[in-house]
Amino acid sequence: MAKTIETVEAALSGPTPGQVLRGRIFGHRGLMFGGVVLAAICIVALLAPVLAPHDPYSQNLLARMQPPVWFDKGTWDHPLGTDHLGRDYLSRLIYGARISLLIGGVAALISGLIGTLMGVAAGYFGGKVDTVVTFIINVRLAMPVVLVALAVVAVFGGSLQVVILVLGLLLWDRFAVVMRSSTQQLRSMEYVNAARAIGCSTSRIVFSEIMPNIVNSLIVVVTLEMAHAILLEAALSFLGLGVQPPTPSWGLMVAEGKKMLLFEPWLIAIPGVALFVLVLVINLLGDGLRDVSAPENRN
Amino acid sequence: MKTVLKGASLFALTMLAASGSALAGKADDTLNISFTKELENVDGYFNSSREGVIMQRTVWDSLLYRDPETGEYKGNLATDWKWVDDVTLDLDLRKGVKFHNGADFTADDVVYTVNWVVDPAHGVKTQRNVNWMKSTEKLDDYKVRLHLKAPFPAAFEYLSGPVPIYPHEYYAKVGPSGMGQNPVGTGPYKVVSVEPGKHFVLEKFDGYFKDSPKGQPKIGHLDIRTIPDINTEAAELFSGGLDWIWQVPADQAEKLKEMDQFTVANESTMRIGYIDMDAAGRTGEKNPMTDVRVRRAVAHAIDRQAIVDGLLKGKSKVVDAACFPTQFGCTDDVTKYDYDPEKAKELLAEAGYPDGFTIDFYAYRDREYAEALANYLNAVGIKTNFKLLQYSALRELRMKQGTPMSFQTWGSYSINDASAIVSQFFKLGSLDTARDEEIKKWLDVADSSIDPEKRKEYYAKAFKKIADQAYWVPLFSYNANYVFTKDLDYTPTTDAIPRFFQMSWK
Amino acid sequence: MIYTLKRLGLAILVALAVSMLSFTLLHLSGDPASAIAGESATDADIAAIRAFYGFDRPLIVQYADWLFSALRGDFGESYYFQLPVAQLIGDRLSITMTLGICGITFAILTAVPLGVAAAVRPNSMIDRVALFISVMGQAMPSFWFGLVLVVIFSIKFRLLPPSGTDGWQNFVMPTVVLGYYAMPAIMRLTRAGMLDVLSADYVRTARAKGASEMRVMFKHALRNAIIPVVSLSAVQMGFMLGGSIVVESIFALHGAGYLAWESIGRNDLPTVQALILIFALFYIVFTFLSDLLNAWLDPRMRVG
Repeated sequence: MAKTIETVEAALSGPTPGQVLRGRIFGHRGLMFGGVVLAAICIVALLAPVLAPHDPYSQNLLARMQPPVWFDKGTWDHPLGTDHLGRDYLSRLIYGARISLLIGGVAALISGLIGTLMGVAAGYFGGKVDTVVTFIINVRLAMPVVLVALAVVAVFGGSLQVVILVLGLLLWDRFAVVMRSSTQQLRSMEYVNAARAIGCSTSRIVFSEIMPNIVNSLIVVVTLEMAHAILLEAALSFLGLGVQPPTPSWGLMVAEGKKMLLFEPWLIAIPGVALFVLVLVINLLGDGLRDVSAPENRN
Repeated sequence: MKTVLKGASLFALTMLAASGSALAGKADDTLNISFTKELENVDGYFNSSREGVIMQRTVWDSLLYRDPETGEYKGNLATDWKWVDDVTLDLDLRKGVKFHNGADFTADDVVYTVNWVVDPAHGVKTQRNVNWMKSTEKLDDYKVRLHLKAPFPAAFEYLSGPVPIYPHEYYAKVGPSGMGQNPVGTGPYKVVSVEPGKHFVLEKFDGYFKDSPKGQPKIGHLDIRTIPDINTEAAELFSGGLDWIWQVPADQAEKLKEMDQFTVANESTMRIGYIDMDAAGRTGEKNPMTDVRVRRAVAHAIDRQAIVDGLLKGKSKVVDAACFPTQFGCTDDVTKYDYDPEKAKELLAEAGYPDGFTIDFYAYRDREYAEALANYLNAVGIKTNFKLLQYSALRELRMKQGTPMSFQTWGSYSINDASAIVSQFFKLGSLDTARDEEIKKWLDVADSSIDPEKRKEYYAKAFKKIADQAYWVPLFSYNANYVFTKDLDYTPTTDAIPRFFQMSWK
Repeated sequence: MIYTLKRLGLAILVALAVSMLSFTLLHLSGDPASAIAGESATDADIAAIRAFYGFDRPLIVQYADWLFSALRGDFGESYYFQLPVAQLIGDRLSITMTLGICGITFAILTAVPLGVAAAVRPNSMIDRVALFISVMGQAMPSFWFGLVLVVIFSIKFRLLPPSGTDGWQNFVMPTVVLGYYAMPAIMRLTRAGMLDVLSADYVRTARAKGASEMRVMFKHALRNAIIPVVSLSAVQMGFMLGGSIVVESIFALHGAGYLAWESIGRNDLPTVQALILIFALFYIVFTFLSDLLNAWLDPRMRVG
């Protein structure tokens, strides 16, 4: 199954030398664009209390689903209208950025730790360790993620912590695969052999010789998995098993708006576009970083 | 972006309004119906959903029938009945009734059905429906004797509802799953085809017995599909693919009503919503909910009228006592808590929580309502950890270790008597969060007394104490919206059981 | 042969591990008796059901029991439908399979030509369009994409039915949504593979010999570039079937994915358990086949 994993990896984490060409033309522009917009979203998330015109949790049951300002009945008081409980949609969108970034970031951190640990161990020690890790990766890949995540969240109840933990514990596969192959390549490098020959401890070799050299590909995988986690949380929320209200997650906002799809389509359009833009810029950033950090590109 | 959004929604609305119901069911005498939930098994003893109840009334008959208008019990498969003593009931059966498969209905069917369902080993899903009966014996071909385990005042209620009679030879042969896939009854409609959970086709049963209190079926065919999503239902309604939908959420019903293309009917149901609080301190001695001032603060914190006006709409009403107003024994004469957030904050401060506290708040349905409640609580300083669980998971949690606070609802099984709600929850059972001995004593008197005035008096005592101590915060009664083609003649009933056999084309 | 057997053994072990893990996860919640009993059940009802289904036994015993039945093709009876799970799933699986096959076909039919076109003219307009489409596909939440399609094609233009499984029209939007999810990876791989191959010596030689451009493209380049694409498609197919849960729930396709979602809500563990295993098996079988294919195409692989 090793070959399969490589195929999956190649496809999912993408470009092989061919894309380097594109990287020069588009990648950097994509990188720039992605970086700037993502930074903007992060700033909005950080400054949410300052930027949000209203309290995102304060409801007004008698002013529900007021349309955004560009509709005839819209007002500047609620530029993006109000939701099904009469809460300001713009404020919820702004606070929602925090939730999405938090989920993406922490889930990627957890899965990154697990995946890197497993991948580096498998790549560095090889042999039985590698066999075991490869087996675990295979088991993980065979599990239908959405279904398992749904089932687990259904069992434990969907709080923000549970969702983040579930995603973190499920999405480490790509880290493990990429780190494993990167470490394997490094293991036979001369400077690693040299370090081993002069009697450096394993932990020292791993931290001072291996890690610095795989950190580039690690960052790329982090961006991809962040995007993946954000999308998956949105899907879970959409299916009714994501974060709990009143937390304004964008996926939840789409799910809540779905009920009025026929009559008030803007309710799903607004958070849907936000979600799309966020994932898009993270992907662009990741693609850009990969192009820039690809060894072929450095030459 | 802006114009796209605007365009899409405007366009959607105008398109909806413009399209006629070209394929309406009246032309081919077929009523196209949708259920929102998958019905697990058409065999009424093996499902516990409302859809199952509807099917059961449509395809089968019970021994008795309760007229939804007058509440009077009439003979359905039985023609006459008489108590021999408190635990023995003799019933004369109707002659000349045929099952859909041609078999004659006789005492053997009643005996087989009852004796089969009362056996716990057969695993009837809702044991409460059958476990009050001990057995039946055949007296002659058209006379049976029913033995009860103990005196059971609600016997007629159950005999007229969830105890349909099955053809004994057929049921012995196919069992519950066979019955679910090829149902056979005596009812006004016979089942033509079943795709489990997805699609049911029913046809008027021409041999339906003439004197049935249910009346004769009028519409030729019923075509029932499962469509879980309200948007899809509405879209199908507009394109004429559906003629009748129900359980339509208030917002959508309102929009549909504005368009004036369909009949939108609203009827209240017996279900009420309430906040349940851990007054007995099962989740911990220091639980703030053990303090009556905190519970009263909760009651003052919530603008129930706004929830009714803004969210539930229709025939919903604010309720103050822990019962549905029409139930026997229910009284309105209890302590009322008006919406007063300032007072709520004062009460919290008095109780030693000037800055509020954080608490787990559970719910299992109507996320929107629960969320609105949580927001009201947050506004006075009761910070809620909102947890939406599956019904079963929440129930288990409440039974095993209790929950500090939860949004609950109860439909009293559509039984118009206060015992169906208050005696269910305040007699120290596993879901009794108040655990008040005095209330239990009063309820014991009220439940077993045969004197209506005495019952009223004791229920009133219980309701007053529940309200005074704010063991529950009763919130509102529910309502149901029905949307159907203007060709259809139909009036919903408060028991929220649509009776297709009473519908007709205009 | 030995390679095949080893691979097969590994596949079985993986399937076993997945089933064990999912069984444990699903049963962590305690027992599902009160879920089966329904809203109006009494404590006694629940106790009766608990005993009836044997939830009071140790988990390992329940698992062993389930496993041995499953090996005989008996996945137990659905708590909810009271029908054998195998029968229940059989009906629904055909819908999911249809959807999966349509989806992957759609993905390949759009991704491969786009990828080839992009590789032939790198950095051209078409390359950028292809890239744009693939980036969009990665970033668009599939549930949102699905809803947007519904608004446009079902509500606005009334061209396609929003739900159901009555005819081929019902599968158009789900196919596009599901296929679009798998497309970016396939397109990127095709493009990369083609770029590699096109710069390879033998293609240059063929060109130098004066072979027509079409002939170079299809006879030499694509044939070689497509190999990894085929095995990726197999893997994607496995992923897609597991991922169809979202798509099926949007379009109310009563397939296996939708059944899985509903069953989770109903705590119908035998059904969920069987579906997790079946989705895992799909993945395992597809990867197994693609590994064999790879080994057959490239004998060097068999050693590793």
